[in-house]
Amino acid sequence: MLTSVGRGLVSPAPVIHANGVAVRHIDADTPVPAGASLSAHPGEVVLLLGPSGSGKSTFALTLNGLIPHHLDAEVTGDVVIGDAAASASTVAELSSRVALVFQDPDAQIVTARVRDEVAFGPENLRVPLAEIATRVEAALRRLDLWERRDDDPDILSGGGRQRLAIAAALAMGTPAIVLDEPTANLDPAGAAEVFAALRDLASAGDHAIVVIEHDLDELVEVAHRVVVLDATGRTVADGSVDDVLRARAAELDALGVWLPAVTLAALRLQRAGVPIERMPLTAAELRAAVAAAPPIDATADAPSSSAARTPADASRTSPAANAVEVSGLTLRHGRDEVLHDVSLTIAAGEFVAIVGPNGAGKTTLAQAIAGVRRTPRGTVHVRGADVARRRTTRRIGFVFQNPEHQFVAPTVREELAYSLRGRSAAEVAERVDAMLERFDLTAHATRHPFLLSGGQKRRLSVATALIGGADVLVLDEPTYGQDRARADELLRLLGDLHAQGTTVVVVTHDMQVVAEHAERVLVIERGRVIADASPAVLFADEPLVRRARLRVPPLRVAFADLPGQPALSGVMRLADLDAVRGTTVAG
Amino acid sequence: MAARPSALSTRVLLICAAIGVATGLLGGIAGWITPIVIATAPMLYGLVLGVHVLPGIIAQEVVRLPWVALLAHVLAALVASATSPQWAGRYIGTALLIGGIQEGVAALTRYRSWAPWRFFVSAVIVGAIIAVVVALIVDLGSFAPWVQAAYLTISVLGPVAWTAVGLAVGARLRSAGVAARR
Amino acid sequence: MTTATPIDASAPTVIRTRLGLDPLTLFAAVIPASIGLVFTRDLVVPLVFLGIGLALALIVSRVSARVLALLVLALPVAIVALALLFALWVDPATVADTRVAVGIAGRDLTVGALTVGAATALRLAAITALLFAAGSAADGPDLVRALVQHLRVPYRVGYAALAALRFVPRFARELDVIRRAHRVRDAAAPGPFTALARGFGYAVPLLAGAIRHAERVALAMDARAFGAHATRTEPRVARWHRLDTAVVAGGWVLTVAVFVVVAAS
Ligand SMILES: Nc1ncnc2c1ncn2[C@@H]1O[C@H](COP(=O)(O)OP(=O)(O)OP(=O)(O)O)[C@@H](O)[C@H]1O
Ligand SMILES: Nc1ncnc2c1ncn2[C@@H]1O[C@H](COP(=O)(O)OP(=O)(O)OP(=O)(O)O)[C@@H](O)[C@H]1O
Ligand SMILES: [Mg+2]
Ligand SMILES: [Mg+2]
Repeated sequence: MLTSVGRGLVSPAPVIHANGVAVRHIDADTPVPAGASLSAHPGEVVLLLGPSGSGKSTFALTLNGLIPHHLDAEVTGDVVIGDAAASASTVAELSSRVALVFQDPDAQIVTARVRDEVAFGPENLRVPLAEIATRVEAALRRLDLWERRDDDPDILSGGGRQRLAIAAALAMGTPAIVLDEPTANLDPAGAAEVFAALRDLASAGDHAIVVIEHDLDELVEVAHRVVVLDATGRTVADGSVDDVLRARAAELDALGVWLPAVTLAALRLQRAGVPIERMPLTAAELRAAVAAAPPIDATADAPSSSAARTPADASRTSPAANAVEVSGLTLRHGRDEVLHDVSLTIAAGEFVAIVGPNGAGKTTLAQAIAGVRRTPRGTVHVRGADVARRRTTRRIGFVFQNPEHQFVAPTVREELAYSLRGRSAAEVAERVDAMLERFDLTAHATRHPFLLSGGQKRRLSVATALIGGADVLVLDEPTYGQDRARADELLRLLGDLHAQGTTVVVVTHDMQVVAEHAERVLVIERGRVIADASPAVLFADEPLVRRARLRVPPLRVAFADLPGQPALSGVMRLADLDAVRGTTVAG
Repeated sequence: MAARPSALSTRVLLICAAIGVATGLLGGIAGWITPIVIATAPMLYGLVLGVHVLPGIIAQEVVRLPWVALLAHVLAALVASATSPQWAGRYIGTALLIGGIQEGVAALTRYRSWAPWRFFVSAVIVGAIIAVVVALIVDLGSFAPWVQAAYLTISVLGPVAWTAVGLAVGARLRSAGVAARR
Repeated sequence: MTTATPIDASAPTVIRTRLGLDPLTLFAAVIPASIGLVFTRDLVVPLVFLGIGLALALIVSRVSARVLALLVLALPVAIVALALLFALWVDPATVADTRVAVGIAGRDLTVGALTVGAATALRLAAITALLFAAGSAADGPDLVRALVQHLRVPYRVGYAALAALRFVPRFARELDVIRRAHRVRDAAAPGPFTALARGFGYAVPLLAGAIRHAERVALAMDARAFGAHATRTEPRVARWHRLDTAVVAGGWVLTVAVFVVVAAS
């Protein structure tokens, strides 16, 4: 169905054409998305954006017929793939036209060997073995995995496994590929690998690619077109990166769409009166825009770091006030030594981030501190008491990466009361009510914890940790797999707790979180603490950042050593920009 | 359009497999009791053995469809056989025996009744058949009468007790909103 | 997972065990013996089959010296222990030979009771050894493929099982985390009943996570056309050869021979 006129292709027909798609899940009242439209042509990279819950993932599943053919839902609107309506095609037919790559690499790998994995799809389509072999080799070479063809996918890195999923999608031989947040579960280095692979695919120009992604910093340079859904899942923008992301940035921000951090920064500067003509999308663009602006002031009362820093600094001098002391801690998993002679101190009231590559031992260290993992006597002290000597440590709360793992009771109320066993009923009721109120869970008190939304579950797990009287909170990757709105909500909550004096320790891969909230960063590599510094010092040390597989947050890249704008030089927190005043020059 | 035999959708297959694998792991925790039981009160072994009814009970509680009990057992046995093929004979034999009985009882009610009594009927039958098979192997006829009586009672009680546990877990899962949809 | 095969093969690989047999051949060969054993009551038949089973297991599986030593030491100990145990329960009234052999646990064990106990223990050991040997040569995933293909089970069941193989380490890690998470919140004293109650507490989060994970994997498999057709391209196929028939026939003949000869003598 190529409309070719004369000698050249004037406009190839779209591979994917969806118009006014609405999907109602069987147990839902209203359809989400409620009217999504999108088309993708060969050689084109389309970025699909929308606030959380706007139905992006649902929409993606309609594009290759999994909805409604395999999941019960009511679909209206048209989805045309190539030259056939999706509703009239089987999933088998559609799977050779549109391939899907999902968010979680572990939930889409089904075999125990890299090359079997890539062959799995074509085998299902009854492709002859000889052709499968060619396709497998081509796909693996393209994603730079050919050397790993006989490996078990489990030993690949997260980024490697996600590239394997893309190779498996390629081997389906489809003209279109849809990726649903392919980097959401990866550490910075893994995400970078996947972006590089996407860049390669895009530049070859032989596929129509639709990407749903929150992390736009690298993708904006690759994308041709941007489609935006509003909260109900209606397409409200469809155009070039310039027309949509740059021209309507403020509108998208208001919608709740996640924008690049540098764009958010530029919006704040604009609001503060700094003239910015062309909305920047990359660190380099923001840097240029700011350099070109008239001098910028920062108001004197800038809360340059959170107010709670003062008590922490004061207490660091008196060892009795140390929240956590680790000395000479060595831990092993089976035969492998995972932590080697680690010593560190965390002062009361500090906000500390623990960062480092996958497998470095961050979780092990955090669990040891919180008493979740047994430690040798005398190695870990919380508030001066040896963790190994007491069965439970009420002074310190641990929040697991998946909050569901730690819920023990069938209702929210009982969950909170569980930590108060042994106290009078009246006291329990009073404290539980107060906690429910404080964490905005009162309306859900009688629900099963598993039925809460992701953000509510996380709040409940923090509440559970605190209700026992903990004033030290340790969280393992609290923003992992969470959407932006939930992540922001949680971080605000942690900020508040910290301001009220709670000591907070966060294990994270999110460098913007580190830059925004941490007062101190511990970098763990191969079981050792290789750096202990403030975020500003850490991110200035480029070799260290590379060695620990971290990433310098884009704001820091944009504002590092700005000679013309001393007020902004070195800024890396969005919050710091609130203090900025542009010298309002008319025009 | 996509012809999909409802009981064999990939989703149902994998849910059954997941239930089989997960209950197997949980059974492993209970498994540490086994050597203690065998060494001290071997007659109670029937009680421990009853844990094998769990996959089918939970599968039927969570996914109320034909075949799921047998599938949960067989898929769990296949997974276990792929991990340690030496024991494949044991795994698959047990799976077909217990899964087949649970499936058969459900089929007799034409998959219309999922009331607890139905699960307990299948538990008693499972217990009785296990008792007969094991009685043949260990030559129960030659044992003292009190041993025979105790043994038979416990063989039947084991599956009944574990069925109660399975139903409780299934109820908790449903209240947690797991797999309420079909 | 499987033995390396050239990737450019355009013909499917035929599944064979280390002995060059189909994975199901040895099972078919030992099943009549295992069933027959259930009904025996003497000492010799199980002893002979135990010998055959052990010999077969040694040939078929590549056991290390350590495992071998363990086997040689542990097996007789286990059999004797089981035999004594069963002997304790035997109704003294039903045995013929009432001479007292040993006194144990304050009771006199008659020769008759001991014989019954030993026969029972040997029977269990022989059945276990035969089935163990039959499975020892096979590669796990290939065994599953062969089962599915020979028994004409829908291929989707077999592949679902192979996909679910990846659940095992994942769920085991998950269970480990759940146990740890619950343990820090729990101050109850250890004991068998607490252990059971705890296990119940682990069940809900483990199963809920497991089921949701299974749903996601199912979606990803469907997206890659799993089950779209009645057949799929099979890279590894099970084929029954004449050698397999011969081995099965040999096994059956041997089984009958053992039973007949022992019965005659
Ligand atoms: N299987 C389902 N059954 C019922 N409701 C569902 C199902 N899947 C998704 N939903 C609901 O549909 C809505 C859209 O969800 P979807 O996951 O498509 O959003 P999304 O835009 O991808 O969000 P996110 O950015 O968080 O990934 C949500 O309200 C969600 O709760
Ligand atoms: N339960 C376990 N059994 C055996 N080894 C383990 C276990 N948990 C972790 N390890 C190993 O211990 C090392 C440190 O693991 P840990 O989970 O602490 O790393 P991490 O820094 O948190 O990594 P990530 O960023 O991937 O979460 C790794 O090499 C890991 O493979
Ligand atoms: Mg989504
Ligand atoms: Mg970790």
